[in-house]
Amino acid sequence: MSADPHVLVVDDEPQIQKLLKVALSAAGWRVSLAATAADALRAIAASAPDVVILDLGLPDRSGLDVLKDMRAFSTTPVLILSARDREGDKIEALDAGADDYVEKPFGMGELLARLRVAMRKTAGKAATITRVEADGLVIDMEKRLVTRDGAPIRLTPKEYDLLVTLARHAGRVVTHRQILAAVWGPAHVQDTQYLRVLIGQLRPKIERNPSTPSIVRTEAGVGYRFMVDGDYQSTSTSRQ
Amino acid sequence: MAARRRRRCSRASRRCPGAGSTIRGRALAEFDLDAALSRKPKLIVVDELAHSNPPDCRHPKRWQDVEELLDAGIDVWTALNIQHLESLADVVSRITGVTVRETVPDLVVQEADDVVLVDITPDELIQRLHDGKVYLPATAKRATQNFFTSGNLTALRELALRRTADRVDDQVTDYLRQKAIEGPWGASEKLLACVDADAVSEKVIRRTAQLATRLNGDWMALHIERPGAEGDSGRSARLTELFALAERLGAETLRVAGADTAAAILRVARRENVSQIVVAEPVRGFWRGLSSRSLADALTRDAGEIELHMIPADDEPPRPRGAPRVTLRREGLGVEFAAAAAAVGLAVPVGHGLALLVALPNVSMIFLAAVLACAVLLGVRAAVIASIGSFLAYNFFFIEPIYSFTVAQPHELLALFVFLAAAILTGSLAGRVREQRDRVIRHAAATQTLYDFSRRLSAATSTDEVVWAAVSQLHKTFGRRAVLLTGADGELTLQGAWPPDVELDAAERSAARWAAQKREPAGAMTGTMPCLALLFRPLATARGIVGVCGFEPPALDRPLTPEEERMLEVVLDQTALALDRAVLAREAVKAASAIENDKVRDALLASLSHDLRTPLATISGAASALRELDTRLTPEARADLLQSIDEESDRLSRFVTNLLDMSRIEAGGLKARREAVDVADAVEAAAERCGKLYPDRPVRVSLAAGLPFARGDGRLLEQVLFNLLDNAQKYGGDSGASVHARAEGDEIVLSVTDEGPGVKPADLDRIFEKFYRGGRPDGRKAGTGLGLSICRGLIEAMGGTIVAQSPAARRRGTRMLIRLPVATTPKGLAE
Repeated sequence: MSADPHVLVVDDEPQIQKLLKVALSAAGWRVSLAATAADALRAIAASAPDVVILDLGLPDRSGLDVLKDMRAFSTTPVLILSARDREGDKIEALDAGADDYVEKPFGMGELLARLRVAMRKTAGKAATITRVEADGLVIDMEKRLVTRDGAPIRLTPKEYDLLVTLARHAGRVVTHRQILAAVWGPAHVQDTQYLRVLIGQLRPKIERNPSTPSIVRTEAGVGYRFMVDGDYQSTSTSRQ
Repeated sequence: MAARRRRRCSRASRRCPGAGSTIRGRALAEFDLDAALSRKPKLIVVDELAHSNPPDCRHPKRWQDVEELLDAGIDVWTALNIQHLESLADVVSRITGVTVRETVPDLVVQEADDVVLVDITPDELIQRLHDGKVYLPATAKRATQNFFTSGNLTALRELALRRTADRVDDQVTDYLRQKAIEGPWGASEKLLACVDADAVSEKVIRRTAQLATRLNGDWMALHIERPGAEGDSGRSARLTELFALAERLGAETLRVAGADTAAAILRVARRENVSQIVVAEPVRGFWRGLSSRSLADALTRDAGEIELHMIPADDEPPRPRGAPRVTLRREGLGVEFAAAAAAVGLAVPVGHGLALLVALPNVSMIFLAAVLACAVLLGVRAAVIASIGSFLAYNFFFIEPIYSFTVAQPHELLALFVFLAAAILTGSLAGRVREQRDRVIRHAAATQTLYDFSRRLSAATSTDEVVWAAVSQLHKTFGRRAVLLTGADGELTLQGAWPPDVELDAAERSAARWAAQKREPAGAMTGTMPCLALLFRPLATARGIVGVCGFEPPALDRPLTPEEERMLEVVLDQTALALDRAVLAREAVKAASAIENDKVRDALLASLSHDLRTPLATISGAASALRELDTRLTPEARADLLQSIDEESDRLSRFVTNLLDMSRIEAGGLKARREAVDVADAVEAAAERCGKLYPDRPVRVSLAAGLPFARGDGRLLEQVLFNLLDNAQKYGGDSGASVHARAEGDEIVLSVTDEGPGVKPADLDRIFEKFYRGGRPDGRKAGTGLGLSICRGLIEAMGGTIVAQSPAARRRGTRMLIRLPVATTPKGLAE
């Protein structure tokens, strides 16, 4: 039993708790539940779950506070699950150390895919990733080489930095702020127009069809997501 | 157009006045500025730019009308005789012996887009005069004798030609510069006119203006205020006049304080990069020769690179405008003479008496005392008069030979003059001390007044209080009417006045509007509608005009004294700031409540979104889990998920129903039936629904026997009872809820009671507000905040009432009381 990955669900809605308990158990997860911020922090400290599903609206404190507090002692991946659709909340949570988010209402398949990606982070540290493949695109970070179906692609240094930043977090959303800080430096975290321009330059070089990008996807108002083979998104669109 | 002779025609195509509109219908119509403005022609031709308007017009001078037309975007063609140009006024009066009163500031002509010279030989002009083509015959004859002599006309013609040539010259220079054609440009000249309150200064100003025009340079007028000279109101009035003249002639004006006049002048000159200084030539005279010569000498010695111009004084007597000042002084001296005579007259018998009683070594001490008394009581001038009087009286009454002005002993003569010197010296000193004390007292009083005023203002929180403080302060300062109008330009409203019943007439209102629009003073003593009794000054802050203040100046024949002006400015500035602050405070309150509203709306949307999405999330999550995990789900898990979908669909449906009910109630679209309802049926149905939702929590029902029917809508009553029970279960804890019904007079009283912690007294009414949610005991999110407001809406639609009571019993619980009218249907019919 101990081989099963352990997920902590933090949500105060009994119906959601019940649903996740049933569905995630069936998908092979060991599920524990917490309804308040205090319970959640206790459970994270005591039982060290492999991944946390966190609702932002909790009765005692906000989920954001839980996230900030737990980040002081834990690097456990956190998946935000929230009914709030305002981008500000999502971005704040992601910048505060959440690994990804799923919006209510959600599909169970999507939730499970995101959980898998989040778990991958614990398997290998982002910095040690040296090779990423997606839809025929290969990024070899040791050789600083990007190829599409075997043919090399010429990228400017900034385009390369951007692509690598996204690829290192493959499958997960990276906020504008995080990208800007990584590529341009901390002084430019507000300059989202730089980013849009650069993305516009990058896509025609790497995407098969730049108008409907399949590798670098836009998460409206939040950031970008590098899609890797085997991700839920690519399964649901077209996968051989 | 006979009058166009010998006149420079200036055509200002920036904008101009509309003469045509006004002449209509009237033989000698004055130019009707407002009619011209309202007709908005493209171009107006206005004759006689130098014309003086009759006193009831908005501006005293026609050129001011023209300025306003230009400001309104109307082009103007106008005509002007050369002798009416302000800077030439003294030249003209020297040549012709006629003082020209109607003058036009040079700036008006300088800013014209184009100037056309209308030239004619003097003989031809005189001929035209004789032919009656210029003036009517009677006027013409007088004019020929006095002014239109051949010599005068030749001189004026030269002036006109030269002025026009200067202007053309400037245009050529500008053209060359624009084309970057090389040429000997020379640095542009800057001139400085040194102004004092004397008669020469006017000439200095005019000459500097002419020089500056010729040199195509800028110029400024400077006055050095010597310490101790501020008190003289005559001087400062004269200076104000001179500065106004300088400004009309296009100068920048500056007052600087400094003990060393020459050094101060040179300091300003160097700072401002002045290339030429114009000063009055030293007057060869008694006292003043000394000081003036030293100024000229000091300037000559230290001027260095800067050129000096000395302007000699005119020989002609001072202008008549100096006259009232002389009279005033004479009156003042009368008092001082009388006082000095009285003091000396008293000193003589006292001296005699004392000399008889005791052996006084020197009777002159008595006279000295008299001089000092005069000095202390009336100032320097009285002291000097008393000194001379004492000198004479002492000589006459006490020095041998007595009763004669002759002096026997030479040493007595010496003593006498030493006495005179000592008396004048001590008297002057004492007098000056007294004057300084007076000034200090005046300043202290002014400071105190302003301090009081600002304290009142800072205490004022509303616009009304500020306005009231301001008008009463103005009334106190000038002792006359004062009004205050607030608002942006265009719509000024009279906010306050002292005395409070003051009303403004149409002319005063339009002057106030003008002041606000142009941000310039208007009304009495200004260039705009000077015939009014009130002077209007705009109240300006950094954010713009906040209002206009009107007051009656203390005297119409003199400008405000510097002290009054200072006081006024402080009062106006502070009032403007305080008004602005009041406005800002109001806006801040508004903004705060807008932010508060936004917050409420945001919270509302967030909660609505939460309430809708939570059940949806469960439903879609469960449905997708059923699909995606299909074979991996145990039968129990599958059943659980299906049950979740079922329950959450119900919850969603209830929420949507509530929202729809609410909007129906709000839109007035809810039609409650008014029929006989068996309360027991409604209670039973509601209790049953509640039991399904909360299977573990009991609902206790007790109904009074023989309960009559209520008048209302059975379905809606059931909905209300269900909402109340739902609330009671949600907030009331595990002990369940009870429903009770009884008849009370013409009403049926229904109550739903829980045993929860109850509602705070302050919230008893608020819980019926839409989207208001009480906290739940377990800290969990409350419901939608709609239930109770829907209950109230439904009950009121049925003609009943609903209130909350808390605590219900033993300091716990909440009771909801519904009162519905008993159905009036006779029992017999119902059966």
